[in-house]
Amino acid sequence: MNPSPATRFLAILTLTYLILPILVVVPMSFSSASSLSFPPPGLSLRWYRSFFESEAWLDAMVMSLALATISSTLGVILGSLAAYGLRRRNFNLKNVLEGNFMAPVILPSIITAVALYIALGRIGMLGTLTGLVVAHTLLVVPYVIVVMVVAIKSFDIRLEQVAWTMGASWFTTVRRVVIPLLAPNIAAAWIFAFVHSFDEVVVTSFIAGTYETIPKKMFSELILEISPTITSVASLLIGFTILCLMTAIWIQRLGKVSAAR
Amino acid sequence: MDRGASTLGPRAAGTQPRSRGWKAALPFVGPLLVLVVLGFNGPILLIVNYSFSAAGTYSFVNYQELAATPVFLRVIGNTFRITVLTTFVVAVLGYILAYWITSLSERTRNIVLALVVVTFWVSVLVRTYAWIVVLGNAGLVNRTLLWAGAIDAPIAFLYNDLGVIIGMANIQMPLLILPLYAAMIKVDQRHLQAAASLGASERTIFWRVFFPQTIPALASSVMLVVILCLGFYVTPAILGGGRVPMVANMLDTYINSIPRWELASAVSIVLLLFTLALFMIYRRLDKWASGEEA
Repeated sequence: MNPSPATRFLAILTLTYLILPILVVVPMSFSSASSLSFPPPGLSLRWYRSFFESEAWLDAMVMSLALATISSTLGVILGSLAAYGLRRRNFNLKNVLEGNFMAPVILPSIITAVALYIALGRIGMLGTLTGLVVAHTLLVVPYVIVVMVVAIKSFDIRLEQVAWTMGASWFTTVRRVVIPLLAPNIAAAWIFAFVHSFDEVVVTSFIAGTYETIPKKMFSELILEISPTITSVASLLIGFTILCLMTAIWIQRLGKVSAAR
Repeated sequence: MDRGASTLGPRAAGTQPRSRGWKAALPFVGPLLVLVVLGFNGPILLIVNYSFSAAGTYSFVNYQELAATPVFLRVIGNTFRITVLTTFVVAVLGYILAYWITSLSERTRNIVLALVVVTFWVSVLVRTYAWIVVLGNAGLVNRTLLWAGAIDAPIAFLYNDLGVIIGMANIQMPLLILPLYAAMIKVDQRHLQAAASLGASERTIFWRVFFPQTIPALASSVMLVVILCLGFYVTPAILGGGRVPMVANMLDTYINSIPRWELASAVSIVLLLFTLALFMIYRRLDKWASGEEA
């Protein structure tokens, strides 16, 4: 079936609408003007310079990178273990438990933000790194579980059983058989978790206190006053996201090729 | 397949010692369970408790106060209006785009799908911010329209319903396109050919044969978009400029501007119940959608 010319036109228009934000932000970041006009009157790198010369933005970047690294690493460890347990063990209320693990991304993050704000406020942990790490880990774990459950599902249980029957201990089986075979998926899950943590804005804005992350700083600037430096930040984020996405896909493909051999 | 069948016996036996219940599962799910209970379930129970407590006793006072607050009712109204309109835009345009993608050659199709996936992954903040540049009074759209002589004065796109809907629909659309596309390519082409050979027009084939087969996927992804719209915070805050407050923005006010933790808790619980109810519907629709494929 071929779509009519009108359908085709509407579809192309919709696609343009969908990618317009990216099409606009990237050229704008090279603008020489200090007003937000498009197309830019001239080209320059001044907004990138202004980002890399701003201590506040650089501090926020370091904070974002540190937080995302810690949370995604914790998230991958806890999430992969949980995914293995959910897939390879049978127990009562398994579905309830899985639903509970997924809940932080099913519910609007504003609810998590309010609940964590009040809970952390009660125990005097608002604005602490521990609070932030707990929140970010909770929010990235569901993505890890989704990736790892699929990976473990397609992983042949007989490979583990062979190791078992040859006398390998449970620990050796996991270390020498399960982890090496799932390594590409673990890496991809880590990248997905990292990107989600790096982009998280709602919960972070509520509970971070004086800590600044890139999204938190961007959000507050977008609400109060917009400086063109944000355009360079936004473009850097777009580039960074695409890079992460391509790496994740590449790693997973690499894993499939080596598994096929 | 045959090999799988022949090893079914030993495999089933091999799974036997694996179903030892919680004791065997705990080393794996336990660590995360501790984190989720302390960092999520606990805080949620705490706000449930807050929402029902007033002056040391348990009551519905907070919920009654909300129901009597005109602002709350207006915010609920805003939230429903924006959600319905955004979902409508996403469903219509998303369906058209997904449908068009299925008709493309494999090469172009992969490029377009990659574009959709990339937009899905780019930060919500970045995608929201871009609309300030595009839709502002001196923005791309207004300047084009002024230059073309279509309008005399800039149209106010920002800080009203229109801006919020344009921004939110843009963010939610990939969530509808990807599952819908997946369902569309599974539609059996022979059904369409059969209809064509029986003399049905293109229009009839689409509405009577193709479209009905995509309804389950459409319904479940529409429900997903609705769920995500209801609790949306960032885009209405930026593109609405405080003039189109939605439920999430009201929560922000009750926490950060005029701290009323018990009211914030009550609003959160209302939103939570709504989301859970809709999520149950989503799960059923999603099962329906995947059941149709089998």
